Amino acid sequence: MTVLPITVGILVAGGIYLLCQPGLVRIVFGITLLSHGANLVLLSSGVSAWRGEPLTGTADPADAGDPLPMAFVLTAIVITLAVTVFMLALARIGHDDSTRHMPDTGEDHRA
Amino acid sequence: MTGSLLPLLVVVPLLGAALGALVPGSIARVMLVLSPVLTTAGGVALLVTHGDTPVLAQDVGGFVAGIAIPLVSDTFTAVMITVTGLTTTACIVFALITGEARLRFFPTLVMMLSAGVNGALLTGDLFNLFVFIEVMLLPSYALIAMTGTWRRLGVGRLFVVINLVTSTILLIGIGLVYGVAGSVNLAVLTDMDADDPRFRLAVGVVLLALTVKAGVVPMHGWLPRAYPATSATVMALFSALHTKVAIYAVFRIHQTVLDGAAEWMTLLLVLFTLTMLVGAYGSLGERMVRRSLAWQMIAGVGYILVGVGIGTQLGLAAGLFYMVHHILVMGSLLLSSGAIEHAYRTNQFVGLSGLMRRERLLAVIMALGMMSLIGFPPSSGFFGKVGIARAVADLDGFQIWLVLGALLVASIGTLLAMSRLWADVFWGPPMEEMPSRGKGHTEPPVVPDDTRMRLRTLVPAGALLLMSLAIFVVPGPLWELCLQAADGLLDVTAYVETVTAS
Repeated sequence: MTVLPITVGILVAGGIYLLCQPGLVRIVFGITLLSHGANLVLLSSGVSAWRGEPLTGTADPADAGDPLPMAFVLTAIVITLAVTVFMLALARIGHDDSTRHMPDTGEDHRA
Repeated sequence: MTGSLLPLLVVVPLLGAALGALVPGSIARVMLVLSPVLTTAGGVALLVTHGDTPVLAQDVGGFVAGIAIPLVSDTFTAVMITVTGLTTTACIVFALITGEARLRFFPTLVMMLSAGVNGALLTGDLFNLFVFIEVMLLPSYALIAMTGTWRRLGVGRLFVVINLVTSTILLIGIGLVYGVAGSVNLAVLTDMDADDPRFRLAVGVVLLALTVKAGVVPMHGWLPRAYPATSATVMALFSALHTKVAIYAVFRIHQTVLDGAAEWMTLLLVLFTLTMLVGAYGSLGERMVRRSLAWQMIAGVGYILVGVGIGTQLGLAAGLFYMVHHILVMGSLLLSSGAIEHAYRTNQFVGLSGLMRRERLLAVIMALGMMSLIGFPPSSGFFGKVGIARAVADLDGFQIWLVLGALLVASIGTLLAMSRLWADVFWGPPMEEMPSRGKGHTEPPVVPDDTRMRLRTLVPAGALLLMSLAIFVVPGPLWELCLQAADGLLDVTAYVETVTAS
């Protein structure tokens, strides 16, 4: 069972590398990798071996997988997806990461 | 109030948020005011109930206890819900006065934010803490992007990235806790052996993520960058809700799950006293009212968390007392700054001068608010700091000198920073005769002679300040509540029994 930790390690390392790069799109990719790593950690907190479906009537509870980490991962994926979409929108509006110069958003800047 | 009503504190603002997006703006704004008022009323009802029932719990979803989603309330929760509800009400009233609430989706976003806050305060389960923190953050991303100056866009990215990475760390920590303990229910986790190094490491990762969200030094840098770029209303909301929810979770998890483990207390105390010092002196480098106040928010985080570092009944109660004081006073100061911006269109030191003669009521409110931050009477800050100084006696040896010294030096730093703010903004020549001190883009704007603040823009700030003064005059009831809350954190038997029985 060393595949899972190694995969998590590679994903997190790649994610952190991309987070340190300039440009929001790369950061978004970095966060995506990082959250995949986190999801694998969550999955491995249940039993990572092959198990039956955790549905009533389909598998004996003794053989069924742990449903809770799967529910965690599902929730986490939904949340990350929502924020990724928002960040891609931010990347489209701002064009660069400058906090010193006014971005051209097409709106009125008097306020 | 019974346990079965607890979900309403989340459901009502969430439903309001959904409806607020559909109905016309005027109706949405009525709902916007009602939602925090109802939250506050719920908080007060909980406080009354906890007089004789220490803990209320409700399992949502009808699963067996241990799997169901528990919502739990004790005195600590009730105090937090009441105070955050009050401050949210003040912020919303201010947004209505300045017209910010007329922005499309502002009511929806704020109601969603308060649903997330109430959920995070009530939940008795680590994973749902993560979910509710996300429910709280998603509308915040949008709020930061739609209010404030043009800097908000660049700064919004910073805020989103920091919070998302921190949430990922929190999620990893929760996964590790589940892997070690087989549960993420706080009541079940109290049975875990707190000396198991794997368990401690897992909970440590969770606490690390929460301290980043709280803005503890050395993970504080994002806060004074991000917050001042939004509008004053949104900054006041965030200051009352975001960092405080993270601090609440640190209090709760550290005390119930780890039983206040002793040997890393020195490390925690060093970090928290550093937070006090860096925050207090960080203001000195800033040349804008709200940026200066943002650093004082960090200092406040240090003062509050020192309570966890001390970890005794007095310490926890003093931390909680300071939190209540800090939420009220910071809200008052930020909304005063918002009133300045509403009338004078700037909060830079170069653009403001001689406000003391021009705006007497504002001067009184901000002077008292600043004295409260420093810890002078007559204000709640005085008793906040007295409480911490008293609790320090529970420590031993050099830790006493560490905390007392930091308390003193940090208060002097706040005094310096606030006198600078005062001298630049409230003293000096009248605004009409102000010489052009600006260079380049900081040229002060031309202010017409007859520009004055409208009295009503100061009402929310004044109301919050009055609460702070009331705490100075009658500190007894709040202190009793804080002691009761600290008892609940130290002795978790009632908490565990109620959660597992419901």
